[in-house]
Amino acid sequence: MMAAGLVIFAEYWLMVGAVVALFFLTIGIDRIDEDARGAYIFRPLLVPGVLLIWPMVLWRWYALETGRADEAKRYKAVRGAYGFVAIGMAIAIGVIIATGLSIKQTWPAHIAPELLSEAGQ
Amino acid sequence: MADNKDKPFFVGYLTAPDGLRSFLIGIGIGLILLMAGVGLGIGATQDDPGNGAFRGDYGRQTVTGVMELTPYPVVRVTQGSEHVPEGHTLMLSAGGKQSLMSRVRDLDGQLVTVSGTILDRGELDMMQVRGGQNGISRAEGDAPEMDSEDLGRWRIAGEICDGKCLAGAMRPGTGIAHKACANLCLIGDIPPVFVSTQPVEGSEFLLVVGPDGTIFPKSAYDLVAAYISVEGKVVRHGDLLVFHLEPDTAELVQ
Repeated sequence: MMAAGLVIFAEYWLMVGAVVALFFLTIGIDRIDEDARGAYIFRPLLVPGVLLIWPMVLWRWYALETGRADEAKRYKAVRGAYGFVAIGMAIAIGVIIATGLSIKQTWPAHIAPELLSEAGQ
Repeated sequence: MADNKDKPFFVGYLTAPDGLRSFLIGIGIGLILLMAGVGLGIGATQDDPGNGAFRGDYGRQTVTGVMELTPYPVVRVTQGSEHVPEGHTLMLSAGGKQSLMSRVRDLDGQLVTVSGTILDRGELDMMQVRGGQNGISRAEGDAPEMDSEDLGRWRIAGEICDGKCLAGAMRPGTGIAHKACANLCLIGDIPPVFVSTQPVEGSEFLLVVGPDGTIFPKSAYDLVAAYISVEGKVVRHGDLLVFHLEPDTAELVQ
């Protein structure tokens, strides 16, 4: 059930991403990046990325269109988070491995086959 | 700023400054030891993948026998080869994650000759049949009557795998890490196999079918690769046991 839910979620995520990619790569990118105007060959290369991170694409499109984007502040903020993210990821890897090992099933070698009923019963 | 001038500064393409050399050596050795330790730790916690493999070294094997659709195709061997003895019940698959079912639909109960490569994991084996008429064809003669024996209803514990990877197409062919691959094989109608914790009537490996002798039900895909306890009828077809698995009775075991 969980697995099926994840697959359905992924399908809808990618479908929305495809719609965003269609509009962003045909309309949006020309409006927010003057260097992209008149350049088309590279655009299909962006499709896989847009499919995955379409919320960020929409947010950046909105921020640049409305003039809310402060590039200098944005990059400073990212650099400032490097240390925290590096330590956080290192801890997360350890936690993920430990969690995986702790919930790993043990081969139930002690359970013997049990005959519930003879043939024909 | 004046203080920074005297601080050692690492530049990749220049000799490491004196003040940083011991630090860099320490970090380097530490990382090597850490990675080796992590690799050793992860490796040590993994299950033994077993000795299953494609036995290309056997050469192509050709046997004759009676085709049985359980519904997964098996051959009850009447004329064996160097590595497939007479009397053996041999599971069959096509190349990759494809089954033979579409090619053997009209051959149930017929005497056939099959040819291909053997996958072997001790008590468990399977033949990956060649393509076209070279792989499977009707044989001359009448097919002898083959009987099967109902062994009753059992509750057994273990793991559902796909028979091809388990027999040697993949290593490991078991476990959670292999679940997606196993399910893709089962979607392709590769014969599923139940690995029992202890032998059932002498067999640790049982071919799995649905509760009414149908193909493995889609509703049971979630059970693949988990350690479960489950009920079902067991039927002996030659030296192969067929487990009529009832998904509704399955329980996860710890």
